[in-house]
Amino acid sequence: MISEDAIPVSILTGFLGSGKTTMLRHLLRQPEFSRTAVIINEFGEVGLDHELIEASEDSFIELQTGCFCCKIRTDLALTLAELLGRRDEGRCAPFDRIIIETSGLADPAPILQTLMTDMAIAGRLLLGSVLTTVDGVNGLQTLEREGISQKQVAVADRIVLTKLDLAGPAEPALLGCLGALNTGAPVLVADHGRIDSNAVFDVGLYDLQTKSSDVTTWLTEESHAHVRDRHDAINTYAIVRREPIRAVALTLFLEALAEHCGEDILRLKGIVNIAESPDRPAVIHGVQHVFHPPAWLDRWPSDERTSRIVFITRRVPQRWVEVLLEAIGEEVADVPVDR
Amino acid sequence: MSAAANELVHELLVESLAAWRVTGRVAPAADGALSIAGARKDIRIERATHAIFRWTVAVDGRKRGAISLTAVLRQVREALDPSYARHRVRIAVTPLVPS
Repeated sequence: MISEDAIPVSILTGFLGSGKTTMLRHLLRQPEFSRTAVIINEFGEVGLDHELIEASEDSFIELQTGCFCCKIRTDLALTLAELLGRRDEGRCAPFDRIIIETSGLADPAPILQTLMTDMAIAGRLLLGSVLTTVDGVNGLQTLEREGISQKQVAVADRIVLTKLDLAGPAEPALLGCLGALNTGAPVLVADHGRIDSNAVFDVGLYDLQTKSSDVTTWLTEESHAHVRDRHDAINTYAIVRREPIRAVALTLFLEALAEHCGEDILRLKGIVNIAESPDRPAVIHGVQHVFHPPAWLDRWPSDERTSRIVFITRRVPQRWVEVLLEAIGEEVADVPVDR
Repeated sequence: MSAAANELVHELLVESLAAWRVTGRVAPAADGALSIAGARKDIRIERATHAIFRWTVAVDGRKRGAISLTAVLRQVREALDPSYARHRVRIAVTPLVPS
């Protein structure tokens, strides 16, 4: 039985690099989201998203256990139970909403199933809405290649198109694909992560009946072997550099990555100590062939000033990426640093 | 080329062939150049003497200049990987420093 003061848990999903964190960062700045607890599930050995989100630390949990969908689902149930425990004991700011930002490679089905069925948390939490971001530049290609991306769209209550500032108006082919996967979800547009906060999460309970039959099947599947197979082709690693990186070296490095293995760079994100800007780190994002202009933080989020670039790739060898950066850095070592 | 720099470029070429799934053996020559043999074409890479270019890449004896290691990689891959479709990407049109 669900209590009257049950807390809605909303899911923010979407494929790698589709703009989930950017939108979440925007939403958390809105007054109506001030009482929000956030759970972020990162797929990578060095988590970065938590450094890019401005949220109170005590109501923020980062999980680096890999994808929820490939781990035992109790990870998520335990995390939610812990969050409720903190709230009950006054060990965190009171919250009346929880948002789970999934990894970009997460199959949303087991997450939804956990929220709907786990008896330990049932009654105190209720499944809110599911929001799925879709990259307006790479979205169609991703949907054609990645079954996970199709699932993420199919289970959505709201679909949010991002990066249309790069792509121009949404392509009819992309809209057609979204409509075929999910006829019921309105398609919204985010402008650099900005979106009407009332339009995204206040949409009532998740209703399985309105979703297509495929979704029903996915949610009741016990085996996710096909998902694991897909993940086996994907490798994730982090490149860490203690020495600052010259701006020109970073530019050449990203250019070479995009040129030689762009379509296999599923996601790249990093915080970089640029030699020309020692006090203001650059945050870089890339998806396949598209690299966004770096965002400059006002300061380092912590005392740690190493450059950390996380890669999620399809069979791009880590050693090649490391040697590429090292060799380019050596080559431009004689270029003067212009501060 | 210093020995250390040469080793790094050597490793970069070895790792690049592996990343591209292209066959070929990278070996240092006595004069400090690097050669790639056993592939579709014979390639020799050496430091350029011309001021504009840093490198010279000879593919089956035909020499071209390369302004950077990334240009070397591009020429090598074009020579060895018939399925390679170049994706030239402009990363930034402004200097990569905060305004």
